Amino acid sequence: MWLMYALLVPTLAVAAYGFYHRIKPWFVGKPLDRLDRPAQRIVRLLKLGLLQQKTIRERYAGFFHQMIFWGFIVLFIATTVVLIDYDFQVPIMRGAFYLYFQSFFVDVLGLLFLVGIALAGWRRWWFRPPALVYTKEASLILALLFVIGATGFLIEGWRIAATNDPWGAWSPVGNVIAKISRPLFSEDALLILHRSFWWLHMGTTFAFLAWAPYTKMAHVLLSPANIYLGNLDPIGGSLKPVDFESSEIFGVNSLAQFTWKDLADLDACTECGRCTASCPANNSGKPLSPRDIILDLQKLSRRGEPQAPLIGATVSLSSESLWNCTTCAACVEACPVSIEQLPKIIDLRRHLVMDQAEFPEMMQDALGSLENRGHPFRGTQATRLDWVGDLDIPEWGEGQTYDVLYWVGCAGALVERNQKTVRATAQLLKTAGVRFAILGRDEKCTGDLARRIGNEFLFETVAKENIERLQSLGVTKVVTSCPHCFNTFANEYPRLGGAFEVQHHSVFLADLVRNGRLKPSRAIEETVTFHDPCYLGRHNGEYDAPRELVQISIGKDPIEMPRSRERSFCCGGGGGLSFVEEPTDQRVSHRRAAEAVESGADTVAVGCPFCMTMLEDAVNAKSGDRPVKVKDVAEILWQAVNQQA
Amino acid sequence: MQDVLCVWFGSSGFDRSAEGLLGAGQRIAATTKGKLHSLVLGKGDNGSRAAAIADSVQIADQLSLDAYSPEEALAVITSVAKSLSPGAVLFANDAYSQELAPRLAYRLGGSAIGDAADVVAEGDILKVTRSVYGGKAVAVYHLERRPSVAWIRARAQAAATPRSTQAEIKHIATSADPNAATRLLERQTEAHEGVRLEDARWIISGGRGLGGPEPFEQLKELADTIGAQVAASRAACDAGWVPPSWQVGQTGKRVAPDLYLAVAISGASQHLIGIADAKVVAAINTDQHAPIFKHCQFGIVEDYKKVVSLLKEKLQALKG
Amino acid sequence: MNIVVCLKQVLDPEIPARDFKINKERREAERGSANLVTSIFCANALETALQFRDIHGGKITVLTYGTVAAEDVLRKAIALKADDAVLVLNDQSSSPDPLQVASVLAAAIKKIDAVNLILVGRESADWGAGQTGGLVAEILGLPCLAFVDHIDLVDGSLRIRRQTETGRDVYMATPPIVLTITNDDHNLPRVPKTKDVMLSSRKPITKWSLTDLGIEPTPGYLKVAELGIPEKNTMCEFVDGETLDDKVATLARKIADVIQG
Repeated sequence: MWLMYALLVPTLAVAAYGFYHRIKPWFVGKPLDRLDRPAQRIVRLLKLGLLQQKTIRERYAGFFHQMIFWGFIVLFIATTVVLIDYDFQVPIMRGAFYLYFQSFFVDVLGLLFLVGIALAGWRRWWFRPPALVYTKEASLILALLFVIGATGFLIEGWRIAATNDPWGAWSPVGNVIAKISRPLFSEDALLILHRSFWWLHMGTTFAFLAWAPYTKMAHVLLSPANIYLGNLDPIGGSLKPVDFESSEIFGVNSLAQFTWKDLADLDACTECGRCTASCPANNSGKPLSPRDIILDLQKLSRRGEPQAPLIGATVSLSSESLWNCTTCAACVEACPVSIEQLPKIIDLRRHLVMDQAEFPEMMQDALGSLENRGHPFRGTQATRLDWVGDLDIPEWGEGQTYDVLYWVGCAGALVERNQKTVRATAQLLKTAGVRFAILGRDEKCTGDLARRIGNEFLFETVAKENIERLQSLGVTKVVTSCPHCFNTFANEYPRLGGAFEVQHHSVFLADLVRNGRLKPSRAIEETVTFHDPCYLGRHNGEYDAPRELVQISIGKDPIEMPRSRERSFCCGGGGGLSFVEEPTDQRVSHRRAAEAVESGADTVAVGCPFCMTMLEDAVNAKSGDRPVKVKDVAEILWQAVNQQA
Repeated sequence: MQDVLCVWFGSSGFDRSAEGLLGAGQRIAATTKGKLHSLVLGKGDNGSRAAAIADSVQIADQLSLDAYSPEEALAVITSVAKSLSPGAVLFANDAYSQELAPRLAYRLGGSAIGDAADVVAEGDILKVTRSVYGGKAVAVYHLERRPSVAWIRARAQAAATPRSTQAEIKHIATSADPNAATRLLERQTEAHEGVRLEDARWIISGGRGLGGPEPFEQLKELADTIGAQVAASRAACDAGWVPPSWQVGQTGKRVAPDLYLAVAISGASQHLIGIADAKVVAAINTDQHAPIFKHCQFGIVEDYKKVVSLLKEKLQALKG
Repeated sequence: MNIVVCLKQVLDPEIPARDFKINKERREAERGSANLVTSIFCANALETALQFRDIHGGKITVLTYGTVAAEDVLRKAIALKADDAVLVLNDQSSSPDPLQVASVLAAAIKKIDAVNLILVGRESADWGAGQTGGLVAEILGLPCLAFVDHIDLVDGSLRIRRQTETGRDVYMATPPIVLTITNDDHNLPRVPKTKDVMLSSRKPITKWSLTDLGIEPTPGYLKVAELGIPEKNTMCEFVDGETLDDKVATLARKIADVIQG
């Protein structure tokens, strides 16, 4: 026994050094407060850690991970019980607790653990999904865990067989092994087998313990920690501001320029690949892999060169790859351990844009136009008031008061197709008797585009101008048709001193319907599927209001596409990508459109002008002979409300 | 009373541009009741057709275009103009002429304006109509200082009426300056086969909507069936899909074809400026609200991918 | 090489046609809500100069003749790392004609001293007269090449490439010389680094009046007698047909009519 403890000390020392080694690189990072709001953090840890709410979203992997997870925990408790009872001589392994928990329950969970490992192995070696990283390390981990579990059962079975344990039946797996072994081996042989396999079991366990912190198995501790330290705000508000006054370098191009939490993220990664599997750019054959970004950064962080340049250091960190990100946050949403891939991508882009001034020409054009003309649609012949036509909508002048400012958005006002959406919205507002006004020619881009592309300086400049203008007019409540504008108002302006109450038009209109101020007078005979805009859904958690509008208008629930709500697939237009020409065979929009068309719906409903632009063309390309329309939820509601529409 | 001097480069012969230039000159001279003089720079045109229109023809055929120097050309024109002291000097719209005209005006103490869509004489004043503000407005300039120098969109001008008599053709001597500050090293001609865009009667032009260089091959095939030239919008040229010399628009070529077929070109005002002189504009575009449709006679709202090859077949069939 | 790049501030040429209004009295465009920007060929000229300096070194002075607002054009050029900036203040209200502009620029270039290379955009995005470069050359008694899209330095001489109707001419030239710059896919204006934008506001700008230059206002030589917005009311006839085939057949017939007529 003393030998075991003698071995445990160096094992734990090696393991501790391993953890120290993992954590040390975090300290080069910049400060960030992630210990606030402990109650919320504990709830988060329970949900995402203990209940594995995100892990189980992927059915097969989630299933076996549950088995391994609970098996691991229960076996760990059982081992601790043994330690306390046997080594510390505290008699707790007694009576019913012994029989029900320590014998029966542990045995069953142990079996699940083994089955879980087997299922994981089956997936890794047989199905070989592309999301996984295929390393010797990963294979060895599975093999070791299996050996530990299997030898555990063998020594239990041979103990039962050798001692003729009267309670053996309470350990069903051990009992089976005992029953098989008894006719095969003598009692002495069983004891020798038990003794030698006990050493094998302990040896493997110790080896594993010592080694684990150096591998992705460190996630057993680091992932729960990361979940606890995760971002509690909406994803849409997770980009960090840049300190222009005191920074010499803008954006991030070395590990030391990240925050400590960004670096901690790198070590929490379990290499599960869910981020890359859900990434629309990656799905469309483009060189962007959030998983590889995290793993490559992890490798670089272990190299101990915190000042070394990151951009271009690996394929995943090349500018080509970074410019394909639509900022849809599917990766962030998919990650079971709360890694934030998106803010890191934006940090790197910020460096490319602000420090190196190197980014795609079409994005340069869009930002140049934003800077000079207040909108990114270079060369447009539309004006901000074209959509108004004969509607008689007041423009908010100095000294006037209205209940609501209708923030139209550049894409709503200046892109011909979207003018129908904002017209429908305005007509609904008028019908409901809402006292609202628009800014007309004085409306300027909120700055979202500049921020997502990476020009934080331009974002701050336009944001401050907007805030100042709205405050001088006395605006308190804003309704907007653009989820990107909505996100900026909701999550980004408050930090700059602009606290306005803001709602996406779907939410505001749904309220008007609920209050009886808008009454749909007929059900539209259409089947509709709803495409969640990333900046309404994933970034801000609003999934129900637009669906409610569809339900009210057509009298039945919308058809759900295979990927919807949190797992919705981007239209391809976020992050400035709607201003970039994609290679024809790599269009994100075409993949989404195909999914929408396959849903069989007559109409694809959207809630974002960029989704409209991206999907309308793509749906036309993919719908073949069957006419499929793309409509904003406001247009659908207006059709239901207005007999003439 | 007020004479008119027309100056052009002989290298492309007495082409459509020279025809239009002399046409405009003839009409102005008729109004001012002055004489029409012409000066041909370099070799390539023997002056015989000009001699049936103008009252005098001078050819500076010793001026080498293969070793072209704007300073040398300017010296020749200045001395001829000084001797004739015309009230107006007209140039065509080519790069060399645009380069020379304002400098000539300065040397002669006159005034200059160019890219004229129309030029008329009224009394002593030359009135020049041209588009400004990127085609958004049209201005009429009055050139009040003598001589009035203008470069005009000559191809859009009606040709002159020839007489039966021939004016005398005079060859003038020039001398090259061995110490010239600029020396032509090489002339890189672009492989834009066939007729120059400015002279093309039919043009098929592609824009950003084509999405890449490959579809231009298709446009080329379509163009070949009717003997048209292929051109492009600034967006397509800037993207590097086709050479910059294919560019039609404010910053590219200004063309005057009988037919201009715009394929996947939205029709920004900068582009429309370049085709303001086209007789018939037609368009293929997916967006029926694209501005190009507000400036064309007929069009089809369809994806060019579905139209171009089919159109080629149909045109071939019509040709028989 | 001492390079002067002349820049002009213009009314944003990309404002929608419907927002474009003119002042009949003054015979120029109304500012309206449009922004003032650097004229595009001027930006191409600056980019050409920056690329030349990136390779061969030298000093770039940006020069503009304009109102106080034109300082913005110079600030943007400073953000792109122009070395010096000179604003010659125009306190007259009307927009000067090409000869007036060229006279002022030429006087300023003389005052800047020892300038070898003067780059001017081929034409401005507002009036587009396309004469400033040539006139500056005449006033200074320098040679001039127009429509240049690339400049290189070979054994102390300039290797200049310029666009013509048929392709490109390549010249060797001895500085000093005036070049007018046109656009090409290689001289698209670069974007500034944010740090340089932030620093650009701190850099001093030299401001001269006509008196500082020792010149009197030159009388203009061009008069805009009329300015109007052209009426365009072409109605497009969209080809009709049951099927795509029908529609394209109609289109083909219409095209054939034009060609044969």
